[in-house]
Amino acid sequence: MKAKWLGLALVSAAVAAGCGEGRAIFNVDVYSFLKGTGRDTIPYLVPGLSGSGSSIPQKINLPGAGSSIVDSVRALGTVDLINSTGSGSLGLQVFLAADSAGTYNAAALAISVPAKNVSPASTTPDTIRGDLSAALNALFTKSQLWIRFGASASNAGLTPLQGKAALKSLLLTVIIKDKFF
Amino acid sequence: MRTPFVGVGLVALIVGGAAAADAQGLITDARRVGMGGLSLSRTGNLARYNAAYRAVAARADRRGQPKLTIPIPLGLIQFFHDHPLSNISNDPAFNHDSAGFNPVELLNTFLNPPLFLEVKKAPTPTNDVVFGIGKDSLRVNLGLTAALVPQDQFGISSSSRPLDPGIDIRGVRVGVMGWLHEEVQFELGDRLLGFLADSQQATHNTTYNVLVHGIVEGGLAPTVSYAGRVAGDTAMGLYVGGALHYYLGVGYFRTDGTGGDSIGNPIFARPLNPVAQTLTRYSKAGNSLGHGVGGDVGLALVTGPIEIGVGVNDIGATITWPNTRTDTAFYKDSTVAGNGPAVGYSRPGLNHIETTTKLPVSYIANLAYTVGNTTLGADVLNTGRGSIVHVGGEQRVGVIVLRGGVARDQRKRLEFGWGGGLRFGGLGLDLGFWTHTNSLSNQRGITMATSLSIY
Repeated sequence: MKAKWLGLALVSAAVAAGCGEGRAIFNVDVYSFLKGTGRDTIPYLVPGLSGSGSSIPQKINLPGAGSSIVDSVRALGTVDLINSTGSGSLGLQVFLAADSAGTYNAAALAISVPAKNVSPASTTPDTIRGDLSAALNALFTKSQLWIRFGASASNAGLTPLQGKAALKSLLLTVIIKDKFF
Repeated sequence: MRTPFVGVGLVALIVGGAAAADAQGLITDARRVGMGGLSLSRTGNLARYNAAYRAVAARADRRGQPKLTIPIPLGLIQFFHDHPLSNISNDPAFNHDSAGFNPVELLNTFLNPPLFLEVKKAPTPTNDVVFGIGKDSLRVNLGLTAALVPQDQFGISSSSRPLDPGIDIRGVRVGVMGWLHEEVQFELGDRLLGFLADSQQATHNTTYNVLVHGIVEGGLAPTVSYAGRVAGDTAMGLYVGGALHYYLGVGYFRTDGTGGDSIGNPIFARPLNPVAQTLTRYSKAGNSLGHGVGGDVGLALVTGPIEIGVGVNDIGATITWPNTRTDTAFYKDSTVAGNGPAVGYSRPGLNHIETTTKLPVSYIANLAYTVGNTTLGADVLNTGRGSIVHVGGEQRVGVIVLRGGVARDQRKRLEFGWGGGLRFGGLGLDLGFWTHTNSLSNQRGITMATSLSIY
């Protein structure tokens, strides 16, 4: 851990006059960990008024930042809401935890994507954008974390609302801002 | 887990840069600081590197050469005020568990002891470093810092003569000189260089490493030397000097190798997989002595107000070690990656073989001009790792002395010195300022040196 920390601190500290504020910024391509695993889709089926769906948790490897302080984490991603039948609205949630089971806890909610209307046999693009819950910042100092996606759907008609949300990209920008100097 | 090999390169960068900045050695005399590191006295570089200067008479009346100079360590007072010894274990600067701990600052403190007061710190570098991390990708963008990644070999080296007792009879001197040569050089491997300097993406099954070369050797050298005036008088004379050394090597250790981190496929399958290999040659104290012959020559010309000198040291100083042992060492640790146990072994190689080492040739060229109460001077010193140039002077006005100078270090950076002093009879108080750049920034800080001199 010390070696990792030293490496991180040195990289962060080895800076020259110029732009920025002397931060270490990790752009973690979360989608690359999900692509091709089947865990990048969240199937849903809502025969009644409302329902939910979930993806399978996926482990994400991180560099590990030791005792460094994570200043903020920002998410930016795109997702296609591929609706087969029915019409209504669909919202997504991103859960993060230190282990797989933890992603099912309510406290693991990192970001909620506002619900978007969907219609039968259509694909609706959506974005995941915003700062993650600060309570989860400490997760990003570890060498790994788990991620899970959830979907909350509301059915506006009598036809079951069915489809899947397919993640197309997700980048987490982790900003570490220690008192290096 | 993915940053150690980045750290390896940057540790090298920082050490290299700091070492280069420190290549002129720790100067404890505020007078020299005030002249940008220029030494006009006989006790400085001139006597060490120019064999003729042993015969050149001191000119205390003109340049004020003190018998003793005592640095006033205001920087240490400030340092221990900021970092009390009673609380050193909890000091964020030294406690690696603290978020305020900065290994770069610690390293810089070690390499550049805060003897003198830092009146202007080099501006705090502010550059974001961006990592791009994916399931099977890693890239780092150091921003402007990338320009500081050393492209060539860098390191620390010195060749010193820690003792030199002898008997001097009419210019001929017979003595036994102690000699010591140490050198550590690093060079970033091409892959690591591209990764750090050009933000190249990390590639599969690749080792990111630093090439390392280190040597330390020392011994004694019975010496016969001569220094004397061959023409003219004290006001205008030509001095020559020469020394013949028979080097007796007591011991040496030399290692050449590489160290770094090996990345697997996929990249993070084996994220931390340190690898190192070295070839080591050594002759321990107690083995047969190394031996070799070398010499120094020097020339100094004093023509009234002008003084010119040239000196070359350790010419042809090749040491033959008749009883050398060689070892090879290999290390690969896969424990962290869960890819098997650590592997490390050392295999003895050939023994009792003959090897040679070579002391670096050092040279100095100096010029001084004294007119009235003004002395101007310049020197070029090369100790085997690039030239350092000093140009400076001092002006005496009654009891006041004003000084100024400029130096170009081995990184070809210009640094400036200025200062002054007061002298009352046999006691002088001097103050000098010197700009400096640290290894991570091109902007300068200013150090203030203070010292007392007894004449």
